[in-house]
Amino acid sequence: MTQISNEAEFRHALAGLDADRQRAVAALFVKHVLPLCDDERIAPVTDVAAREDVPEDKLAEALRTARTTTTDCHARCGAAGDWSAQAGYFVARAAVAALTPAGQMPGGPAWQAAMASRMAKTCEAIVTGDDSLGRESEEQYRILVDFLNS
Amino acid sequence: MSASLERGIHAFKEAIDGPVASFFSSCVHCGLCAHACLFYTETGDPKYTPIHKLEPLRRVWKQEYTFWGRYARAFGLSKPVTDEELGEWETLVYDSCTMCGRCSMVCPVGNDIAYMIRRTREGMAAAGHAPEGLIGASRRAVTIGSPMGVKLPALEAQIRHLEQEAGLTIPVDLEGADYMCLLSSMEIMNFPEYIGAIARIFKQANVSWTISSEAFEATNSGIQIGVSEIAAELVQRVVDAAEKLQVKAVISPECGHAYMAIRWEGPNLIGKPFSFQVMHIMEVLDQLREEGRLKTTGKEKQRLTYHDPCQIARRGGVLEQPRNLLNIVAEDFVEMPEAGKMNWCCGAGGGVSANERADELRLRVFNRKKSQLDAVRAEGLVTACSNCRIYLEEGLEEYHMDIPVTGLTETIAEHLVEEGEGGER
Repeated sequence: MTQISNEAEFRHALAGLDADRQRAVAALFVKHVLPLCDDERIAPVTDVAAREDVPEDKLAEALRTARTTTTDCHARCGAAGDWSAQAGYFVARAAVAALTPAGQMPGGPAWQAAMASRMAKTCEAIVTGDDSLGRESEEQYRILVDFLNS
Repeated sequence: MSASLERGIHAFKEAIDGPVASFFSSCVHCGLCAHACLFYTETGDPKYTPIHKLEPLRRVWKQEYTFWGRYARAFGLSKPVTDEELGEWETLVYDSCTMCGRCSMVCPVGNDIAYMIRRTREGMAAAGHAPEGLIGASRRAVTIGSPMGVKLPALEAQIRHLEQEAGLTIPVDLEGADYMCLLSSMEIMNFPEYIGAIARIFKQANVSWTISSEAFEATNSGIQIGVSEIAAELVQRVVDAAEKLQVKAVISPECGHAYMAIRWEGPNLIGKPFSFQVMHIMEVLDQLREEGRLKTTGKEKQRLTYHDPCQIARRGGVLEQPRNLLNIVAEDFVEMPEAGKMNWCCGAGGGVSANERADELRLRVFNRKKSQLDAVRAEGLVTACSNCRIYLEEGLEEYHMDIPVTGLTETIAEHLVEEGEGGER
C-alpha cells in the first residue's frame, strides 16, 4: 500500500507516472475542485482528460477548449478583482495543465494541475474568509494514494 | 475654454521640459518611427505613426515656446488645441501606444518618443481624456493600494496557504532583511505560483528576504495613466516601507512597467535618491546563479523561446540575465528574430491591457508576435512579466497557436534541487 504524507513524496509519486496516468490523476484533482467553476466548458474537458483510451485529436480539442476558457476568465490587468471568479479561473487552468502534453509543462501536468487546484481553493478561502477549509494538498495526497492503490 | 481643457493645456505646458522641447525641435519628420511601431506595421494606418500621436503636445509646445508659434498665435494664424481634438487623440495616446520605446530606438536624432507619450498623457489625463479602465485602476491604487483592489488579507491568505501546503516560509515585515520583494496584483491574482517560486528559490539559496504588509504592490498606475502626483505617491509608499524595514534592496517582480517605474523613474518622481538598491528578480536570480547558489537539475526538452518585456529589456537593460537563467534549464533555447532590445511588444503594455476599448486593436497587432514565434516554431514561451504573460496567452488563443506560456522564475523553481536530491543531472 502506497502512503503519501508530504510534498516531496507527492511530487516523487507524480513524477513516476507515465503520461496517460499523469493526465488521469490530474483530472481527478480538477474534479475535486470542479464545483468552484461555474463555466460549463470545464466539466466535459475534464471527463476527456480522465479517460485512458482517448484519441489524440480529442485531447487536442479538449485542450483548446480549456485554454479558451482560461483566457476568457482571467483577471484583467487593472480591473477590480473578483476572487470568486478567480477560483473558476484556476480550475480552468488546472484543466489546461491536465490536458497539456507531458513534455510541455514544467514540473509535469499532474503537479501543475494540483497546484492550480490548490489556488482555486485558496480563492474560495479568500471569498469566505474561512481558513478552516480542508487543506487541498491533503485531499490530493488521498486522491493520489487511492489512484495508485486501485 | 472649459475648466478641464484649461487644466489639460496647463498640464501640457508643465510637461514640456527641456528634453521634450529639444526633441520637437530636432524631429526631421523622417517617419522611421512608424516602421518601429507594431500599431503601424500591423495596420498600415499612418495615424499610428508614433510622432503623430504627440500632435497635441507638439502644438502646445510650438504655440507657447517658439517664436514663430507665438507670433502665429498672436495674429490668429494658428488654432488652439480644442477639447474635441484631445478626445480624438485619446485613443492614439492610450490605445495604440504601449510606451514600449521601440520608436525611440530607431529615431535618427535620438528623440525619446516613448518619454514624450508619457508626458502627453499628463495633459490628456488632466483634461479628462483618459480611459475608464485606467481611471478606475489609478483610483484603486491610491485608495486600496492595488489597481485590482487586492487587499492585505487576500495576500495573507495566499501566503498562509503556500506556507501550510508547501511547507514554505514567506517572511512578512522582517526588519533588516536583505531584500524586500514587491508583487504585482496580476501575480497575486493570476499567478500566485510566483510567490511560491521565489520562496523555494530563496530558501535553497539561503536569501534573507521579506514582503512588506504596508507596500507589497509593485505596479504604478500613475505612470500608465500619466499623473505624476499619483506615480510619486505610489513610489513613496515603497520607499517608506523599504526604509522602515531597513532592507538593502527592493526586488521588482515579473512586471514590466513596475520595474521601470521604481528603478528608473522612482527617484526622479520623489525628488531624491533611494537609500536602497532596486533590482529586477531576473538580476537577483542571475546573481545567485553566478555565486553558485542556484542549484538546478534537469532541463526542459521542448523548444523554448523568451519574450523580452519591453520595460525590462529595452527600457530597463535586463537582457543577458534571463538568457543566462534559461540556458541552465532549457535544452533547446532559441531566440526569436529581433529578440532582445529590439523585441516586439506583446501589444498590451503601458496600460493598454487595462483599457477594454483597445482589445480589438491589441489582438490585431499581436500578428507581429505571431510572426516572431512562427519563425522559430517555438513549443514553449517563457517571459518575465505577468502582464505580457496573460496577454500573450490571449494572443496565442486568438491566433490558434498551441504554445504554453510560463514565467521564468517559476520555470527555474521547477528545476531546483530540492532537499535530498543530488546536483546537476
